[in-house]
Amino acid sequence: MTTSRFTLIGALVALVLAGGVALFASSSPDGLESVMLEGCETGADGEITGGECTLQQAGGHEIGGPLADYGISFVGSETLGGSLAGILGVLLVLGLATGLFRLLARGGKADAGSGGA
Amino acid sequence: MSELALHIPNGIVDIPTSLAFGLVAVLAVGACTVAARRGLDERLVPLAGLATAFIFAAQMLNFPVAAGVSGHLLGGALAAALLGPWLGVLCVTVVIAVQALLFADGGVTALGLNVVNMAVIATVAAYGVIALALKLLPRTRVGLTVAVFAASVVSVVAASAGFVLQFAIGGEAPGQTLGEVAGAILSVHVLIGVGEGAIAAAAVVAVALARPDLVHALKGARLAEAPTAKETARP
Repeated sequence: MTTSRFTLIGALVALVLAGGVALFASSSPDGLESVMLEGCETGADGEITGGECTLQQAGGHEIGGPLADYGISFVGSETLGGSLAGILGVLLVLGLATGLFRLLARGGKADAGSGGA
Repeated sequence: MSELALHIPNGIVDIPTSLAFGLVAVLAVGACTVAARRGLDERLVPLAGLATAFIFAAQMLNFPVAAGVSGHLLGGALAAALLGPWLGVLCVTVVIAVQALLFADGGVTALGLNVVNMAVIATVAAYGVIALALKLLPRTRVGLTVAVFAASVVSVVAASAGFVLQFAIGGEAPGQTLGEVAGAILSVHVLIGVGEGAIAAAAVVAVALARPDLVHALKGARLAEAPTAKETARP
């Protein structure tokens, strides 16, 4: 399989996972969160309703932003917003990582050579 | 707040500890950058970018591990198997930074804590296990599966042990002793590691079958046929 074909298939798999399969992911608290919720009671929507636990010390996120919690704040449908946020995230990470690693590979080559250009 | 996804939010570990681990993260990632660029071929760049995007996607897939508790892949074992430890650390670091800065997943103050645990500890631990396991096991589909699976479990538990250390230094649990927190954290992460192992092993074996040259852990060799490992050495 050629590298470009391999990369294309891999990117499509990542897009399907983030934009589609992720909508069916478990929304239960994860391992870290469930331990930090020990001592608290939670309501149906997962919000803390009483008791005392470590997670109450957590502050709101410093930035938040339109993509907070893998949604898009200005898209009405949670499903569509979640799907688009996942797709956007994959494309963004793919572009950012590829760009950074390309710079790193070129920098390494320049260093190994005559140290310039 | 309902989507923490295994990342430490701000406020759980105090600021001095978070900043100290921020410094540790900068030094470790800097060292990995220096080490990674020595072996970085430009032909590897698309694969490294793809692996990073795949880890971002896979981290969105929370799977149930017990009643009312979920977990997701961290990606250290996958990155280490495909790209080696140094480039692998950089991949997971990019994912965690994007999550904290754009997706409000993991506190910005806690970025150093999360990078140390999930990018540095998990990836380096995974690489150690894979390298050791592939010395002991045959380089077959089964051998590679077992190696990546074991590396996943060890790496996730090691990452969670990193959190326990950070929490011991700069955290406080009302009504729970540190021992109770440690026991609960480590045991749930064994289960998460098993889930990660299944996903990471499947992904690495799929790459090994399509393009064995792109699996760092195989060091350029192809996967041997399972039943007759020795025979395939002959042409």
